[in-house]
Amino acid sequence: MNSPLDLLDRPAPAAPADLTLRRGAARVLLDNWTGASTVPSRSLYPHQWSWDSAFVAVGLRHLSVRRAQRELESLLAAQWADGRVPHIVFNPALPHDAYFPSPDFWQSSTAGRTAGAPASVETSGIVQPPVHALAAWLVHRADPAESRRRGFLARVRPRLAAWHDYLLGRRDLGGGGLAAVVHPWEPGMDNSPGWDRALQRVEPSPPGTFRRADLDHGHPADRPTDLDYGRYVRLATEYREAGYDDRVVRHRFAVEDPAFNALLVVSELALAAMARELGLPGQPHTERAAGLTRALVDRLWDERAGLFRVRDLHTGEPVDERTVSGLIPLLVPQLPEEIVRRLRSTLTGPRFSAPATHLVPSYDLTGHAFDPTRYWRGPAWFNTAWLIERGLRTHGFQQDAERLRTGFLTEAGRSGFAEYVDPATGAARGTRHFSWTAALTLDLLSTDPEEAGP
Amino acid sequence: MLKTAVQEQLVPGDTLQAKWDFAQQAGYDAIELRGKGDFHFASRREELRQAHKDGVVMPTVCVDMLHFLGAFDEELRRDAVAQMKSQLTVIAEIGGVGAQTPASYGMFSRRLPPFEPPRTEEEDREVLLAGLTELGEHARSEGVTLFLEPLNRYEDHMVNRLGQAADLIRAVGLDSVRIGIDSYHMNIEETDPAAAIVAHADVIGHAQVSDSNRFQPGAGHLDWPAWLGALHTVGYDGHLALECRLTGDPVEAVRSVPAFLKRSGA
Repeated sequence: MNSPLDLLDRPAPAAPADLTLRRGAARVLLDNWTGASTVPSRSLYPHQWSWDSAFVAVGLRHLSVRRAQRELESLLAAQWADGRVPHIVFNPALPHDAYFPSPDFWQSSTAGRTAGAPASVETSGIVQPPVHALAAWLVHRADPAESRRRGFLARVRPRLAAWHDYLLGRRDLGGGGLAAVVHPWEPGMDNSPGWDRALQRVEPSPPGTFRRADLDHGHPADRPTDLDYGRYVRLATEYREAGYDDRVVRHRFAVEDPAFNALLVVSELALAAMARELGLPGQPHTERAAGLTRALVDRLWDERAGLFRVRDLHTGEPVDERTVSGLIPLLVPQLPEEIVRRLRSTLTGPRFSAPATHLVPSYDLTGHAFDPTRYWRGPAWFNTAWLIERGLRTHGFQQDAERLRTGFLTEAGRSGFAEYVDPATGAARGTRHFSWTAALTLDLLSTDPEEAGP
Repeated sequence: MLKTAVQEQLVPGDTLQAKWDFAQQAGYDAIELRGKGDFHFASRREELRQAHKDGVVMPTVCVDMLHFLGAFDEELRRDAVAQMKSQLTVIAEIGGVGAQTPASYGMFSRRLPPFEPPRTEEEDREVLLAGLTELGEHARSEGVTLFLEPLNRYEDHMVNRLGQAADLIRAVGLDSVRIGIDSYHMNIEETDPAAAIVAHADVIGHAQVSDSNRFQPGAGHLDWPAWLGALHTVGYDGHLALECRLTGDPVEAVRSVPAFLKRSGA
């Protein structure tokens, strides 16, 4: 197994690769760049999204280290004083109705003032998975000299540390040492069946009280249902009405998500590496990563199912659904070997193995709620594949990783860098020319797989 | 990998052959020639033919005069067109691909007094379309290309951005007229230089490089990986020709460029 540092220090030399695919991926990133950040998609998502920017930076570092740094810096510039990094930073140049929920809905600069929302930029009030420190470290590693020249790490590290402090402070709602998410948009897998039970407690906002913008460019069959959307709106409204203050709000939706916390582990290790690079002690972060790893296993591992489960903090019970989120902890370097072994067999078993594409479905292929086209209820996504590929290499499963990498590159190219694909056929779903699909394509093309060995 | 070229006056050596030896050792793939007026370039025919025979790679010539196809004065304009025709003919004779010229240089700037040029925008356009058409047809007959170079607002008042050059070139409608882009001018004029390359990829034919301060690449603050990445993305297969001023030891400065460009993604 790699040491945590080896994992993060993995070099990214050039490898021979498909020139057409590389050009196509770079083209998407050039087209979707807006001067300080990248939109996930020109048509569907016209602002800056938090975890999208992190994945985009990972790819952008191969095209322009300076742009990759700016991508993360511009996101972190919208950080709240309580440490939260908002899941959307709105582009002030666009009309407010360009996306729903809009700045008029979130009202961050007024409703979020007490919680520390910035006054001059409008954002959402919720968060997305903490991939940012990992991304920042990979961006630094792509060109350490340019990073030092611009003082990149020195500027982003304190903000990233405050971000993690927020998650492990105010967001440890279960008191067990893991960060909780309070809205289905927070773990980034909006309509995953993993949230269905917890969402049933939420009365939907009536359909006439909001207007979805995602259906202007997206096909209804590929998107969350209106009923789900009504619940998303209700939860966000209640959070806003409580001033986005985690200390006073009674979150009706609160779960501990495996992928969210696994990313926090890896990002803590990245913070440790950054601290050492800057001549600061890394130990507090490695200790925190170790504590998080233990809590992840203690609270979310399901021995019988062979994967990690979401924990519903209202019932205190694991959610009886198998989603891709439960496989992403493979990314954690210090996971017990037995768990690694079980995760690998779940990954290659009938529930998550899609032989035609070699990608990983977002939900159990044999599950009762499986839907091959609807967003996070079955389609295969490229960011989760990238994380799992990285996890497989971390634990020395080079052949499995190579199969996933090949599947990723084939389907990304064939689908026109789709947002997500049908795991069985590879048919493109959602928007095309999607930034993180292109960015992670560029990353896989530019990173020599042989370098990742133990 | 993108090929590099260096303009002949930047390289030490008394002959093109000696310059070529230096250029190759420094990692360049070609030499870009400079074409002076009064048919000076044509007067170098023997020298150029011999160099070509000796294996010197000379794909392009960049005009080195003080009047151009967009001159206010009709006589100067006619002379500029005649000079460019001759340069296109000669570069074709030695196996090259084309000749580069701006619309004008140092003739007028809308940013400097007296601010209003003596000709209207419509008249400018007419003059440029006529000149580009005449030169494009000549280039086509010679099997080479005329590259129109947008200059920054302080050096020319007519063609500053790729979009303006592309508009003229599309109006002319000849494959033998393309844009010759220059990283220094683009840095001043384009909102997003990399995006401008992608947007006008179909009419880009040549590229010259210098940094944000007109010095050799590496001496300024351009985002070279983004600019070069955009050229890769559109499948650009011409040269990156070094046209710049030099800071530091001139020989070392010239020598440093191919490695710098390669490290920046060329």
